[in-house]
Amino acid sequence: MHRRRLLTLLAGAGTVGLAGCNRPQTAGTSTDDGTGSPPPSTPTGSGDGGVYVQSFVERMGRLGTATAGPYRVALLYTVPHQFWTVTNAQRSLVPRGGGDGYRVHLMATVWDPETGIAIPETGLSLELERDGALVSEEVIYPMLSQRMGVHYGGNFTFPADGDYRALIDVGALSIRRTGAFRGRFGDPATAEIPFRFTARDRERIGTRESPGAGDPGAVAPMDTAFPLGRAPDVEAMPGTHLGTARSGDAVFEAVRLTDPPAGVDGPGPYLSVSARTPYNRFVLPAMSLSASAGSFDGDLVRTLDPDLGYHYGAAIPELTEADRLRLAVTMPPQIGRHEGYERAFLTMPPMELSI
Amino acid sequence: MDFDESLPRRQFVKAAVAAGGASALSACLGRAPRAGEPVPTGVSDISNLPQRQHAWNDRVRVDADGNVHLPRHQTFLYLTVDADGPPEDDARGTVEAALRTLDRAYERSNEGLVYSLAYAPSYFDRFEATLPDSVDLPEPRRLSGFENPTFDTQDALLHLASDRGDVVLEAEEAMFGDRSEANGVAVEAKLGDALTVDDRRTGFIGAGMPAERQAQAGEPISGIPDSLPVPEQSPLFMGFEAGFAGNQATEDYVTIPEGPFAGGTTKHVANLRQRLGDWYDEQSFAERVMEMFSPSHAEQGLVEGVGDNLGADSGIDAVLDPETIQQSISDHGRVGHAQKAARANRDADGNVRILRRHVESTDDDVASLHFPSLQRRLSTFEEVRAAMNGDDLTDNPAIRQRVNNGILEYIFVQNRGNFLVPPRRHRALPTPRPA
Ligand code: HEM
Repeated sequence: MHRRRLLTLLAGAGTVGLAGCNRPQTAGTSTDDGTGSPPPSTPTGSGDGGVYVQSFVERMGRLGTATAGPYRVALLYTVPHQFWTVTNAQRSLVPRGGGDGYRVHLMATVWDPETGIAIPETGLSLELERDGALVSEEVIYPMLSQRMGVHYGGNFTFPADGDYRALIDVGALSIRRTGAFRGRFGDPATAEIPFRFTARDRERIGTRESPGAGDPGAVAPMDTAFPLGRAPDVEAMPGTHLGTARSGDAVFEAVRLTDPPAGVDGPGPYLSVSARTPYNRFVLPAMSLSASAGSFDGDLVRTLDPDLGYHYGAAIPELTEADRLRLAVTMPPQIGRHEGYERAFLTMPPMELSI
Repeated sequence: MDFDESLPRRQFVKAAVAAGGASALSACLGRAPRAGEPVPTGVSDISNLPQRQHAWNDRVRVDADGNVHLPRHQTFLYLTVDADGPPEDDARGTVEAALRTLDRAYERSNEGLVYSLAYAPSYFDRFEATLPDSVDLPEPRRLSGFENPTFDTQDALLHLASDRGDVVLEAEEAMFGDRSEANGVAVEAKLGDALTVDDRRTGFIGAGMPAERQAQAGEPISGIPDSLPVPEQSPLFMGFEAGFAGNQATEDYVTIPEGPFAGGTTKHVANLRQRLGDWYDEQSFAERVMEMFSPSHAEQGLVEGVGDNLGADSGIDAVLDPETIQQSISDHGRVGHAQKAARANRDADGNVRILRRHVESTDDDVASLHFPSLQRRLSTFEEVRAAMNGDDLTDNPAIRQRVNNGILEYIFVQNRGNFLVPPRRHRALPTPRPA
């Protein structure tokens, strides 16, 4: 097949309008006009700080939902966003980007339909085809946004309106799974979401200013039919609540279970620490967290459990006798951040709880 | 066929090789940089040729540092045997006669033609007997937790390579097309009489070739950003040299030492799509060095430009110990591709275990890489690939499954196939237990 196309190309190269070539064509609209206008740039503090209300509220549209192996996957779009990736404690800005065509921020959320627990930390890539030709393929990063919670996102260009197919590859989970999650999520899976993108879809999205922009706080999450990666309420968590600690504006809820969840070696009790954002209670995954209690001093392990959700945990026999629990973040959450979260959860001083 | 005369010559030849066919060949014969110059002829007595079909290193260009430079133009023909069940002796005779035609026609060199014919596990499944234990050749399988490749289970793979684009085209036309002469030698038998081409892929390698091909008519090909960033001198789209002598297994090392297929080797061939927008646009040169080689290479400024200055060795052995890797992760939040992969690429005596022979491709206007690797046992490749996945390093959340983890963010595996490259004496439709 490509033989013929290349012959065409050979014959036509040098002239305008490469027939049969899958290069993006300029769409009727660009990112600069109409409702698709990007949110205004907000000055962002260089230092560390807390969570603040993002400067805009964006409307989103849904492109489809599909099953991939054990997962459900939803694909959404909105105006292109700037966001920050984090490596160690260093933050780097990813711009909205430009180019010919219609620029969007694509967001995938992945969850376990049996428990409604969102999968906050795996490798995920998105391949886009239009009329059978490759448009893009990228690894997209887990990230945190006030409207969309914990999702995987990136900016993409739709070269033109038309029929698309998104293939979302969800990588095998490498973090520990316990309880009924043992033996699950160990294989990669692909979700296929076909969709048509037209002027109507462009009109569906947009932004408005948000009151209180820049103040401590967060805009309300979207009202969605799928999980946004919220951590459970303290009252809903199993075990004994040991206390609440704060660091870098993150909230840490510590609970003690008499016995570790199935899949954790060692005698109980088990310490589970659930880290979440203030206000919206989104899970804060992918940090290095260590704990000391009594004579115990060690790392907590990133774990996904159907009852405890995403948490950091370890079996700590000393826990029952100890009267103090110290928590130290040795690496802040390695998750991308949308506006409002980029100053928080970076410098995270040690915490101490009387238990 | 109307080929555009205004294309620069070398680009033209590459395009012709990619397109293939008789018309591409005739166009190429007139236009190739050295068309008209004679192609050295082969041998009439094949016992003058090595038993090892994979003995290419002393028949191609080698630079002053001893690094092997693979032939610039390559074609991969995935072939199926025309009948069900074990092939007949007739077919075997046809294949052997066809290959002898190639041997007579072209010197076994980069100026002529180097090639090999290899067989997949699915080919050997046609027989009741199984391969001997001396051959380790599993079916292709998924080799990372984030890939979903198509498995190439065709019977055989013919891999053609030459510095002359007109030669790979002519050889292909002589074996599968209408051409009755190859380099002036009469074609007595055609591979096409026993085997059918199921898939055809093309590759190229050499300083300058990726930069020339990153755009067609001013537009980047898929995977290359608008900034057209591929360095002028780079042999690879990702901007560095690869395959330093000190980082490659020797042909001796990858050769099967015993059993009926002694003198052969195993070959894994992957195809990987490259998506280099973020590689070039979001990362500095130093960050690219960190992710390709190692963070230490960047700290110490060991890599200049495309890495010519490294000479005969990437120097990766100095940074493979777990302490260095952990330190690099704490300091830079990254681990290098070569650094991770090399961990599993040494035997107890420090010898390199696999021989990589990868080339670039623009098939379907997509930047990709054909990745053949030779090793004594196929599973050695699987071990090295596992080390390259770096799963063991993701305990540290800065190293994610595909982010900050070498070059995994930018490469997407499309195909995998496993093959046995038999020694010359068994190259024509072998049984699993040849005498
Ligand atoms: C686009 C894809 C790739 C590019 C551009 C690339 C490039 C490189 C470069 C520049 C080096 C360092 C120099 C050298 O030793 O050759 C290297 C090393 C290495 N690569 Fe790749 N590579 C790619 C894919 C792969 C794949 C798929 C494998 C499969 C296992 C692999 C295995 C290795 C190994 C084992 C080394 C270390 C050699 C040693 O042991 O010292 N590479 N690669």
